[in-house]
Amino acid sequence: MQLGAQGDITSLIATLLWLLFFAIFFFYPSFSQRIQLSHMLRDLERKLGRLKQIRDDVRSRTLQVLGGYSERKDLDKELDRLVNSFMIPPESMDPYGVVYKLEHIAVTWEDSFEDMVRELCPKADRERAKTLTNLVEVTRGVDLIYRIVRHFYLMGKKTNNIYLVLQLQMLMPQIMEIAEAYRQASYAFSEGQPIGDGVGVLAVAKLVKDAEKKTYEIAKDTVVHELVFEGRRLLAVRAAGPGGAVGRPGEGVKRLVEAENGRVGAIITVDAGLKLEGEETGKIVEGIGVAIGGIGIDKYKIEEIAKENRIPLYAFVIYESIAEAITPMKESIAKAADKVLEKIKAIIREKVKEGETVIVAGIGNTVGIGMT
Amino acid sequence: MFQSRQGLGKVPRPLTFLLCLNCKTENSRPFKDGDYVFKEVEEKCPKCGEQRMVITGIYVREERQQAR
Repeated sequence: MQLGAQGDITSLIATLLWLLFFAIFFFYPSFSQRIQLSHMLRDLERKLGRLKQIRDDVRSRTLQVLGGYSERKDLDKELDRLVNSFMIPPESMDPYGVVYKLEHIAVTWEDSFEDMVRELCPKADRERAKTLTNLVEVTRGVDLIYRIVRHFYLMGKKTNNIYLVLQLQMLMPQIMEIAEAYRQASYAFSEGQPIGDGVGVLAVAKLVKDAEKKTYEIAKDTVVHELVFEGRRLLAVRAAGPGGAVGRPGEGVKRLVEAENGRVGAIITVDAGLKLEGEETGKIVEGIGVAIGGIGIDKYKIEEIAKENRIPLYAFVIYESIAEAITPMKESIAKAADKVLEKIKAIIREKVKEGETVIVAGIGNTVGIGMT
Repeated sequence: MFQSRQGLGKVPRPLTFLLCLNCKTENSRPFKDGDYVFKEVEEKCPKCGEQRMVITGIYVREERQQAR
């Protein structure tokens, strides 16, 4: 009897619970979505916490390094001013001449940013000031990532928009990888260590090393080495080091071609390029075109002058990931500089006749890579 | 708000590779502030004792992947 009564109560409770769950799912269809949303928001909050930690770490390192070259007491406020500064791209409704408008704005922005850093750190020499500018740019980059992620997280939370949160959550692994790369980059720029992006410059520096040459500045932070290579006139363009700079290779190559009255046998560019996941770091690939990243000004200028004068464009790219490009140079990337050197020599021998002029441009950030 | 209890990972330190200008021996040491590639430094060569060396490379050593 007793066993039978207990069984009735258990069955009644089970029925009530079933009815309750049924009612919840019947009257509140988005219930499962709500649970999913709260899970995603919790995951995002954890990752945002880590992003904040990275941002604070980079910022404190930057302040510490800048403090070594400055006596300013309001250094943190000044750093905030730099970190929050911005560049407004030109209006492109009428695209005519937009590249030169963009160049004007970008150059003004870069120069004023560098001037502000120099003013802040009067004790830093020219080379160090350039590297410090890069360090502040890293701080600005990681701060921007944090603020954008926080914006979408709070927006998703406020509006309970699962689709907004979902998109952010899907992108978070890549965002976290980039943020961690920025953190490692801050160490590289604090101490002036070569980074993966500098492999193009390193290759060109090795190409002209030990050769008898004439060196001069062709554009801001951009130098040319003039030498003779197996009967051909070789003009090697690179950013001036060892301070952190990318120079203006587009303007440099344009001025060189103009000075040669368009009589150039080939323009060869060497740069680091983004590899696909699963590909080998340091792999060298070659192709046709201009191997230059960035906002496109340098690439446009070289393409334009090459088209005008019918100069063939050859390119070498050394594969690396986005993280490897801004963190201290890896062994496989450094070794690739030696290998690409032989490929450049081979293409000059094959495509440029004796007596002709060839331009070789090493693209990338020259931090930690001196002049040869 | 937005606190993470997880610590930040270690950052790989590069090595500086130096070539003796006398005996052409290459050796390495941990990177020091002020080092840059192609810089001539006044450091003693561990083999011949020459005081002038040149930095030939600065990079992070990678562990060799075992062949499968």
